[in-house]
Amino acid sequence: MSGELDNRVRLHIYERFVADGRPPTVAETAAALAIGDEEAAEAYRRLERARVIVLAPGTLDVWMANPLSAVPTPFRATTERGSFWGNCVWDGLGVIAMLGGRGALATACSDCGDPMTLAVEERTLAPADGVVHFAVPARRWWENIAFT
Amino acid sequence: MLAFRSEAHVDRWRAQRCVPRGAILSLGQTWGLAEAWYANRLAPEWRRRTPDEAEAVFAGLGLTGEFWRLQ
Repeated sequence: MSGELDNRVRLHIYERFVADGRPPTVAETAAALAIGDEEAAEAYRRLERARVIVLAPGTLDVWMANPLSAVPTPFRATTERGSFWGNCVWDGLGVIAMLGGRGALATACSDCGDPMTLAVEERTLAPADGVVHFAVPARRWWENIAFT
Repeated sequence: MLAFRSEAHVDRWRAQRCVPRGAILSLGQTWGLAEAWYANRLAPEWRRRTPDEAEAVFAGLGLTGEFWRLQ
């Protein structure tokens, strides 16, 4: 029944990430769910293979639980439930979508560096100037998820 | 996926880095993707979309063609 366990682990990772501003370690997840460390570690690995989370290379540390990033990025989303880094513009807005549909994404034009703020109210994006460039075709996103 | 002031800024950035043109989305389309992809991510019943389902989300936002194909 690894599917059920994996979903419990997934939910725990997201719940703690939102509550604490950082993802839980394998040991913290194991303790919270009353499972063994190795059982939790295997769940983390399966979730990564299923492309639900991304682990920092060579570790069991959660790097991305999309749309959330555990490391600072140029995409800072402020919501009613706190401020978080997204992995890209899509994910930065995704943080707001995931956490109530109200907030603001602070980023900058990748060309000139001018600050850009994208505000969302009642799940509606406020009018703003700008575009988003996707560099990599959809089927290749997971070849290097840090560069899309 | 990066934000730019305008398409002219995308072109200047690409030229400086020899990055081929990918896809350019409006901010509204990007918010649509964010909503479709992540609004229910904390739900217990959430699961990853199949490629067909993901392509349907793209198409619903006007994102069609080879760039948006997953299979």
